[in-house]
Amino acid sequence: MSETRICESPGCKAESKLQCPTCVKLGINGSYFCTQDCFKSNWKTHKVLHKLVQGKDESSSASQDSSDPFTPWPFFKFSGKLRPYQLSGTRTVPAHIPRPDYADHFKGIPVSEQKEKNSHQIKVLSDEEIEEMRVACKLGREVLDEAAKTLDIGVTTDEVDRVVHEACIERNCYPSPLNYYQFPKSCCTSINEVICHGIPDHRPLQEGDICNVDVTVYHRGFHGDLNETFFIGNVSDSAKKLVNVTWECLKKSMDAVKPGEKYREIGNVIQKHAQANNFSVVRSYCGHGINQLFHTAPSVPHYAKNKAIGIMKPGHCFTIEPMISEGSWRDEMWPDNWTAVTIDGMLSAQFEHTLLVTDDGVEVLTERPGNPLPHFLSP
Amino acid sequence: MDSDNEEIPELVEADLKPVPVTIVTGFLGSGKTTLLNYILTEQHSKKIAVILNEFGEGSAVEKSLTVGQDGELFEEWLELRNGCLCCSVKDNGVKAIENLMQKRGKFDYILLETTGLADPGPIASIFWLDSDLGSSVFLDGIITVVDAKYGLKNREITSDTEAAINAAERQIALADLLILNKADLTNEAELNGLKEAVRQLNGASDIVTSQRCRVDLDKILDLKAYSGNGFSRLRSLMDDVSKLDGLSHIDSSINTVTFEWSTPLSEDVINLFAQRILWENALHPAAIIRMKGLIKAKENGGGDDDGGAAFFMLQGVYEMYDLQPVPGQFLDDADAAAACRFIIIGRGVKKDEAMDLLRICVSDSSSSAR
Repeated sequence: MSETRICESPGCKAESKLQCPTCVKLGINGSYFCTQDCFKSNWKTHKVLHKLVQGKDESSSASQDSSDPFTPWPFFKFSGKLRPYQLSGTRTVPAHIPRPDYADHFKGIPVSEQKEKNSHQIKVLSDEEIEEMRVACKLGREVLDEAAKTLDIGVTTDEVDRVVHEACIERNCYPSPLNYYQFPKSCCTSINEVICHGIPDHRPLQEGDICNVDVTVYHRGFHGDLNETFFIGNVSDSAKKLVNVTWECLKKSMDAVKPGEKYREIGNVIQKHAQANNFSVVRSYCGHGINQLFHTAPSVPHYAKNKAIGIMKPGHCFTIEPMISEGSWRDEMWPDNWTAVTIDGMLSAQFEHTLLVTDDGVEVLTERPGNPLPHFLSP
Repeated sequence: MDSDNEEIPELVEADLKPVPVTIVTGFLGSGKTTLLNYILTEQHSKKIAVILNEFGEGSAVEKSLTVGQDGELFEEWLELRNGCLCCSVKDNGVKAIENLMQKRGKFDYILLETTGLADPGPIASIFWLDSDLGSSVFLDGIITVVDAKYGLKNREITSDTEAAINAAERQIALADLLILNKADLTNEAELNGLKEAVRQLNGASDIVTSQRCRVDLDKILDLKAYSGNGFSRLRSLMDDVSKLDGLSHIDSSINTVTFEWSTPLSEDVINLFAQRILWENALHPAAIIRMKGLIKAKENGGGDDDGGAAFFMLQGVYEMYDLQPVPGQFLDDADAAAACRFIIIGRGVKKDEAMDLLRICVSDSSSSAR
């Protein structure tokens, strides 16, 4: 498995094993290029980096869109066109709704999860616990469906978050993401090159965007987690293809779920389908066990040849949530410590369900009642 | 303003090789810390980082590490960014180290020092990353430092001596390399006695001795214990397997069991074997700590994109295991002695039970293939 990076010349996707020596000397990370010629053609913009580091840069906000005055990270090099917008204030959840432990921890730390951090033991849920999971997942689905109705050109992701937040409260649920490791909002909205964990803000959705909304609800002690990618207005053909293939990856992987199957097999199924369509599988984030804990064992990577531990047994609850990218599988993070984006700024899509292993297969707990299709296929 | 006449430089080959991480464990009094300091200050040609492993509290935001370069010591800081801890394949500590190296350049070696009673197993799992993650670090091996004079006699005045003894034995059982430290304070008889005792606990580890907490770095770095490149080392370890019989018994429930299998085995069988032992406790009540194997692969049509590798290396730490193909350059003429060799280290492991299980796996695998 050879080590390569992606060429940094805009528009060039070639693999590169070469680096700019000045950047190496100046301690600028990255600066990988595929060939000397490609490097030369990008030289004019690239050398600005050298000046920047040496404190000689005059054009300070070259990378920011001039119409947006919000520049929280002036020197950050964005991989794509998306920019952060400001957040609204913190939403609160009425006291009568049961809250997970991290909701009131000053750093949002889920102590109950941390206790089990090193354990690979997968919980087998009792019949009562399974019933509670069914309810939590059904409610999570209702909340996502509410969010789906809201999505439109011009609607901000903050507005989507407000709808999600209120839909949770209406159903006596706590929105699980809120304050989880200090996540500031009640759901994740991930647009275009954002892979996952996008923070809802005041940016209006634009025609052509693909937007994933990830909802998790906490109801009577149990979490239900699901997400879908939506089309905003008319989207490009390549975006359509990506979203379709991503959905198919999830579908195929769910078909593989049955007692006795190894958790590590899920990644093989997903990567095979993604690769057949020339897409890549994001590797940094994985599916996870879910029950009274938001994230617990098992860890379910979506890429092939992984070392996931465990075999599926009836009573196991976990998510599969493949993130599939148009370009490189690699991800990087915005300085907000949450937003994960593709390193080449190309699109990434995701779908997620919470699953229960049954005696002879799988029950998709977060499915739409009477309709197994996601919204983009069946509005 | 400066004139724009910076010349376009020639691109250089990017340094993309990952950095080895060695986990160093050992009891208070074993001389582990002195040893690490020696490594830091004496290794002039390499840039080495030592990190004290206290990852996992979740509340620390920054963590210092000590770097030795050209005989000088200085401090660096790891930023432990707590966001996105959920559903993240890489642990926070791993990401923090990667980020630091991205900003400040790579180290040649990273030594992760665990605290006295810590179980190095889970820490190893954190760094034992899938190679497709393209991380800039990889797990090189686990080193346990043992006080050569006092060895397994627990010198610590702790309230829970039994737990302490268990922790010490566990650390030895998990080692890929054992350093018998301060050998200058023992005599030959004592040292040999200790060697036999630790061999019984862990027959799958190299042993080196150090004098005055000094050791030859070449012996302890680049163990490559978790990649197919470590094949030669493991093979010579296995060659010592037969010498384990007839050793004096120490009072411990941890033991090493070794056995051979005379026919080549398929990947499916090995996976079944490992999963049944490590995930399904098929050898219950035995509790498995380490498992290693050298396997000659069965010739078959495969269809595996590894191109039908001839040899595999099996590595297991608690429940985590991996099967790595061994690169061609490490294979000399196939030895006819035994096709497959296994080492299992744990509590109450019985050789005949393990072999029976393998037999069952072979027959289960071939019957399901029909």
